[in-house]
Amino acid sequence: MNTTDDELPPADPAESLRLIAREQAAAGRRLTPDPRLLLWPWGLAWLIGFGVYFLRFGPDEHVYIDMPEFVPLTVLLGLITLAGIVTGVVGARAGRQVSGPTSRQGAMYGFTWSVAFIGMAVLLSRVSDLLPTPTGNLLWAGAMVALTGALHMAGGALWNDRILYVLGLSISIVNVIGIIVGPGWHALIVAVLGGGGMLVAGLVSWLRMAR
Amino acid sequence: MSGSPPELDPVIHAQARLRVVSALSTLGDGDRIVFPRLQDILQMTAGNLSVHLRKLEDAGYVEVTKTHQGRTPATFVRLTRRGRVAFEEYTEALHALLAGITHPQEES
Repeated sequence: MNTTDDELPPADPAESLRLIAREQAAAGRRLTPDPRLLLWPWGLAWLIGFGVYFLRFGPDEHVYIDMPEFVPLTVLLGLITLAGIVTGVVGARAGRQVSGPTSRQGAMYGFTWSVAFIGMAVLLSRVSDLLPTPTGNLLWAGAMVALTGALHMAGGALWNDRILYVLGLSISIVNVIGIIVGPGWHALIVAVLGGGGMLVAGLVSWLRMAR
Repeated sequence: MSGSPPELDPVIHAQARLRVVSALSTLGDGDRIVFPRLQDILQMTAGNLSVHLRKLEDAGYVEVTKTHQGRTPATFVRLTRRGRVAFEEYTEALHALLAGITHPQEES
């Protein structure tokens, strides 16, 4: 497109404004990390991780698929760590392209996730063994989801991103409903609505960006 | 309509530099972008982009800094406060001109 003569002014004011809009849209698209890469790993981790949880620790201690007790939490934490690494790499890559206040904000936000999760895990691993298995599992799952919901809401507030904020709010509400309904159901509700919600949020953000 | 109206900043009122400034305006205040990334967004050759950045730098609209990321040298580009203001004024002037055109005021 219009590369004929660099020094030539745009044909008229309307053309200038179109050129500005086009260029700003292109730059915005190229500089914002793909929301699918930021949300889908988490969505999948929850869908699969909490799905396995539900199959092993179903409602009323029902076991749909028999497997050792340590498997669900290990799978869930493994997938979540993996998702954290993917988002970390995507964020760091964006940070190398543009430096300054925005990328510092991003790095601090990312670091906050790690610190919050480590703090939670250290506390819960000391307490959960004292509880009956279903309650202990609910404690882990419920705390993890509550933290995620809150951090997504904080992220939405930080970046002025409504989709992220609504996602965080939905996760928080779904979590409370699941906890009230009880162990077993909580895992299913969080897997389908929480994990599914993240997949949908990633898709919606991406579609909005592509336009 | 021949000739560009004098109110439009001549530094920005050239296709290539308008594109550069528009792209840079999407960055947050104080954020800097690496040269190759800017080049990639604008689809310009390095030489061409350098020429226009020099002109914008001379006007005080753009700041180019050379640093190191580890061992590799990196060139960062950002819009200065002055550049941002100039870009805003330029856009306002465009809107004003456009409003003038839509009103039936014929110039001979």
